[in-house]
Amino acid sequence: MPVITLFRDRFSSSIGRSITVEEMAKWLPWMGLDIEEVGPDYVKVEFNPNRVDFSSHAGIARGYSGLRGWKTGLPEYEMKEGKAALNVDPSVSEVRPYVLAAVIRNISLDYDSVRELMEIQEDLHWGVGRDRRKVSIGVHNMDVVQQPFSYVAREPNAVRFVPLDKTEEMSLQEILERHEKGVGYRHLVDWAPKYPLIIDSKEQVLSFPPIINGELTRVDSWTKNLFIDVTGTDYKAIARSLNVLVTALADMGASLESVNVNYPDRTVVSPDLTPQRMRLRTDYANRLLGLKLSESKVIQSLRKSRLDAKKISKGVLEVSIPAYRIDIMHEIDLVEEVAIGYGYFRMKPTRLATMTTGKQHTTSKKANRARQVMIGLGFTEVKNFILTNRVAHYENMRQKVGGGMIKLANPVSTEYSIARENLLPSLMKNLMDNKHESYPQRLFEVSDVIRINRKTETRSERRLHTAGVSSHSTANFTEIKSIAEALLANLGVKRWDVKATRHPSFLQGRVAAIYVKRRKVGVLGEIHPEVINNFELENPVGAFEIDLKEI
Amino acid sequence: MVELREHEQKTLLALQKLGGKAPVNQIVEASGLAHAAVMRAALSLTTRKLTRIHEQKQTVIKLNEEGKHHAKENLPERRLIRGLLKLGGEASIEEAVKESTLEKRFLTIALGWLHRKGWATIEKKKRVLKTQEEPPIGVDEKLLSLLDEKGSLIVEKLDKQLQDSVPVLRKRKLVRVDEKTLRELELTEDGWKLVEQGIEMAKEVSQLTPELIHTGRWRKVKLRRFDVTAPGPVVYPGKIHPVQQIIQRVREIFLEMGFTEIRGPIVETAFWNFDALFQPQDHPAREMQDTFYLAHPREGRLPSRNIVNAVAKTHEDGWKTGSRGWEYSWSHDEAKRLILRTHTTSVTIRHLAEHKEPPVKVFSVDRVYRNEKVDYKRLAEFHQIEGIVMDRNVTLRDLMGTLKEFYLKLGLRKVQFWPSYFPYTEPSAQSTVYVPELKAWMELCGMGIFRPEVVEPLGIKHPVLAWGGGLERLIMLKLGVDDMRFLYKNDLGWIRRTPICR
Repeated sequence: MPVITLFRDRFSSSIGRSITVEEMAKWLPWMGLDIEEVGPDYVKVEFNPNRVDFSSHAGIARGYSGLRGWKTGLPEYEMKEGKAALNVDPSVSEVRPYVLAAVIRNISLDYDSVRELMEIQEDLHWGVGRDRRKVSIGVHNMDVVQQPFSYVAREPNAVRFVPLDKTEEMSLQEILERHEKGVGYRHLVDWAPKYPLIIDSKEQVLSFPPIINGELTRVDSWTKNLFIDVTGTDYKAIARSLNVLVTALADMGASLESVNVNYPDRTVVSPDLTPQRMRLRTDYANRLLGLKLSESKVIQSLRKSRLDAKKISKGVLEVSIPAYRIDIMHEIDLVEEVAIGYGYFRMKPTRLATMTTGKQHTTSKKANRARQVMIGLGFTEVKNFILTNRVAHYENMRQKVGGGMIKLANPVSTEYSIARENLLPSLMKNLMDNKHESYPQRLFEVSDVIRINRKTETRSERRLHTAGVSSHSTANFTEIKSIAEALLANLGVKRWDVKATRHPSFLQGRVAAIYVKRRKVGVLGEIHPEVINNFELENPVGAFEIDLKEI
Repeated sequence: MVELREHEQKTLLALQKLGGKAPVNQIVEASGLAHAAVMRAALSLTTRKLTRIHEQKQTVIKLNEEGKHHAKENLPERRLIRGLLKLGGEASIEEAVKESTLEKRFLTIALGWLHRKGWATIEKKKRVLKTQEEPPIGVDEKLLSLLDEKGSLIVEKLDKQLQDSVPVLRKRKLVRVDEKTLRELELTEDGWKLVEQGIEMAKEVSQLTPELIHTGRWRKVKLRRFDVTAPGPVVYPGKIHPVQQIIQRVREIFLEMGFTEIRGPIVETAFWNFDALFQPQDHPAREMQDTFYLAHPREGRLPSRNIVNAVAKTHEDGWKTGSRGWEYSWSHDEAKRLILRTHTTSVTIRHLAEHKEPPVKVFSVDRVYRNEKVDYKRLAEFHQIEGIVMDRNVTLRDLMGTLKEFYLKLGLRKVQFWPSYFPYTEPSAQSTVYVPELKAWMELCGMGIFRPEVVEPLGIKHPVLAWGGGLERLIMLKLGVDDMRFLYKNDLGWIRRTPICR
């Protein structure tokens, strides 16, 4: 989850009054921010990915002032009509069709706010932009370029410019091949015959979205006026992202100016900060929260969450939502705003009236019966992962990979690359890890294995198995057979047959299959000395495994 | 007169026969007693000042497989230098290896040691070796052949030069080193006096047998009196794994609170794990890094068309739910992909889709998966607890109350609820509990009411309260373990020593 470090003095100036670190740590969690760390002059918080508007001091300050009751209701943003134009060339429709823009005047940036600006962008790229696919943003020093700007598509080798943080000119093709951002994001454009570009009236490159900006329009703490472009594949998403960014900049003290974005068929005045409107039924909120708030109390709570509302009929409010609250999708989201504005800390827990009787799952019951018998027989339970790998699961057991193996596509660790289909390999590993402990060692596990089963919806099934191993200097077939039969008898199995069989993990002539109602349900015997060697053990091992699903 | 038990008498007599001082294993042989019996006697005789125990640490070294090989064939560097000398003292590496019949796997070792011992010069570019004459046999080689001859050696008894070579062979992983304690028993002056007076062996019976009982002979024999304070051998009971014990306790709590246990697939379709829970298909969190996707089998089957269509429409434009949706075009193929479930909520939502009549109160405590690097606080496979209430008119405050009761049963009295975010609940909350053992607040379960975009496409008409979270952190706390990986190491010593949890 994204993290932001809020410095006390910066946060205080965003709010317009002096706040102590203690006050911050006390109230920020009530806005849904998770305190990571409290320092002498800062509080580090984690914010939820849906609240991209919390990615700046100014954004959190807005909410904080509301919750404390210092500034409530909708924040107002003044936007001047600007002269700047951005012409959209029809050629972009093939590759990255949408663009919007804004102009920011008289911003005073310092090192920290430039960094913050970059972080807001990154959060938007990730959360709303789906890692730049849907949305990417470019922020430029407007004073070094000349409007009108154009959004065009050009061939990969037609244009050269110096990308950000580089000193030499590169063609678009070279950027995709050699620049680290080019390599990282090339899949978003490299399939198209022409790549998107934002250029000024003199054909100077501002940015190559969604890859990289030009060095020319680099923003630093001397920059006074900004030109912002947002491009993408989803018009609503780019409009929302732009709103989050420009309102944060306005709250940092800059003034906003609109840009005329000229599409071939229409002109859009951008950005559009008109508040979204949505209805809220007060009884819907009260019913879900378990409160009995009056209409005016609901309105007051919404205002504390920096929304606004007016009553339009009995029990129905029309709520205004500021342009940066792009997370609100449904009436239910307003219910939570009511709860936050009212204060989670004021909500007293109530006792649930739903009376029911509980029941264990039959599989758990069966598992617990097996556990009871096994501990009665002096066995100690182990708990292993279902995830394992081929070597541990098959090779060490002298087994070939069967057709029933579940294989993972993308494990980060080679240790976990398949799902186990038997428990015994894990138990052998447990014996190996406990060589230094005193013998006899008698271990068992009652747990799931997973097998392919084409007939099910998930092409697989989990089956409850139990397995046991007994290892000591005189462990043998007779002992383990008695154990397995004691288990079967005490699980209530009336009849079973034990028949000689072959199994690569066991000694030939000392291994048997267990049948219940003519179905093979398990195996028991003495583990093959080669397997014992593979697990670096010295004592003989008697082992059994039974599929409890069949019992 | 000192009263002696049979094994004590035998031990003293054996010791006398062995000249008054002897290692324990010799006494075992001479007395015919078991090792444990001699040790018991040694302890009790020593407390009575009849004997003294001398303990001496001994380090025994033996050759391992590779060591034996080198002892037979000579060290790789010796073999290589001999090969080189046969070729006149200068040759390419390949020729020297061929001449010496050195196995490939030892080549780097041989070259490294030639260099370290300064036996030959190596011209790296041309890969040519040069030497003057056969170097004398080194101490390490002497030790190697001595070990080969004797089988094992006691380091402390070696001369200084050889002792210094032990770490060299050890570092080269040619020897196995075992630490042993040698115990010797010696008669004290009192002990000598006693044995010189003569010990008369009276036959004592230690084990009461069925034969003694039914013949009545037990009346006639002398039944040995036991030292009841002597330590007996430790035995371990069969036991439920400590983690399982806590899982059982948590399950009991749910059952006490009237919840019914549910269970569902571990291999799951993306549909039930993500889509049915209103998680957009293009969200970065759904991509490869956090989720285990399956290579084989790759795709599962989707449920009935009306459920799929309703879910798809809800993602795209909100369907009839009043939501704006995620505004993208939903893909069947993406939803069919098989994964290892990332939470048990997939089981919950499957259950609710089939149990729409209120009330429903269900829970699960089961395995879930995250494709992450494992460390002390993160596992790829762990347990999640989840509780669900669906009923007419249940509220967020009811959820808080239910969770409070749940925590109380776990012994956690102080609870706080904070606003939070989960993609499939709204309103959402996070709970923190005060842990007296840590004297700190700890984040435990997340909670919330299922979003309309989740429940309505499945035809669920009443609010669904949900809470859940990972169980391992709680288990670590209860068991006093500070590395999560340890919980599933199955350290038998730990399981044997950990008392049954309360």
